[in-house]
Amino acid sequence: MSAITETSDHGHGHHPGLHHQYEDMAQQTESYIVGMWVFLTTEIMFFGALFFIYTLYRWNYQLDFYIAHEHLDWKLGAFNTTVLLFSSFTMVMAVQSAQLKKRIAVMNYLGVTVLCAITFLVVKYFEYSSKFADHLYPGVNFATDAKAAFGEHAFEAGKLAVNMNHAQLFYGLYFCMTGLHAIHIIVGIGIIIALIRLWFNKANSVIHDYVPTEMVGLYWHFVDLVWIFLFPLFYLMPKPH
Amino acid sequence: MASNSSSHTHEHHIVSTGTYLLTLGALVVLMGLTVAIAQVNLPAIGILSGTVVNQLVALLIATIKALLVICVFMGVKWGTTLTKLWVIAGFVTLPLLFGILGDYCTRKYEQQPGWEKIEDGALPRISYENPAKPPADSSELNVKIRQ
Repeated sequence: MSAITETSDHGHGHHPGLHHQYEDMAQQTESYIVGMWVFLTTEIMFFGALFFIYTLYRWNYQLDFYIAHEHLDWKLGAFNTTVLLFSSFTMVMAVQSAQLKKRIAVMNYLGVTVLCAITFLVVKYFEYSSKFADHLYPGVNFATDAKAAFGEHAFEAGKLAVNMNHAQLFYGLYFCMTGLHAIHIIVGIGIIIALIRLWFNKANSVIHDYVPTEMVGLYWHFVDLVWIFLFPLFYLMPKPH
Repeated sequence: MASNSSSHTHEHHIVSTGTYLLTLGALVVLMGLTVAIAQVNLPAIGILSGTVVNQLVALLIATIKALLVICVFMGVKWGTTLTKLWVIAGFVTLPLLFGILGDYCTRKYEQQPGWEKIEDGALPRISYENPAKPPADSSELNVKIRQ
């Protein structure tokens, strides 16, 4: 019944962003947000499996993982963490502007978020390049020049002190986990650009209701959330002592 | 028909810019703290070695950061009860998954015929020692060749 009345009485107290299958905006908003969290739950399980594998092998091969991790530059990692945290802030400001119906501000904040995401990927590109240069990707030619890859402290009395299989496992996990995360960043860039386009075109789906913008925000914060754990686990490994 | 309590105000909670800025500041400070703590070797506590203590502290800080992002940036703090329930359900999957570690910790490695454990891992030994020379018999392989 509400569907019939809604279509026939515009401007009669009905929110223009309300879809006909919902009672009111509160119900619609809750459905949207809960739906997004259901998706994020599957993402938690998706990344969770990788974190589990990491935990298991890190526990077993602590020393080898430590030596292998020294090729990573924590300064770049910290820079990228800051960039992502800041992009989460600009994202949340975009949502706030959407609530206040400040269209230009929304587009500006989303634009800055995209720029942060691209900065993150550029840094990641340089990090990956340095790994490729030293053959630190899993495969038959893994770390053919171990001295160049891991430095002097990978050697004890001239003999290699790191088990290459375990080091390879570390870089397998590194590329899987940061790579999957980077794919999420790339997808995020696409979604945010699509959202900017909707705002630019004053699409009904976004200008009357802030929740679609909020849902993109939830996705983006989740990507940030994963990185919050990846950063200490890969870049800040404590020295075995 | 749900309870019509909220007198139909579409007013959603709008969080102030100050709160968001403060959260961002806290997140960056916590990140700096993790980096600082990673540079020092924390002492062992009880049965936990110093390495484990270091790692646990780093993970604790990461968890606090995650909670800040979830509660403030993702707005769960102001969300409905159903939203909160789903958020908790989402993260409950993790301890369930990590429960499998208990199996890895307690189960004895059982030798299976044809899959005996050797020191160097799962790849055939020939690929390391002498790639040119084919194995004379199956004892040179990590795994036994099935008859």
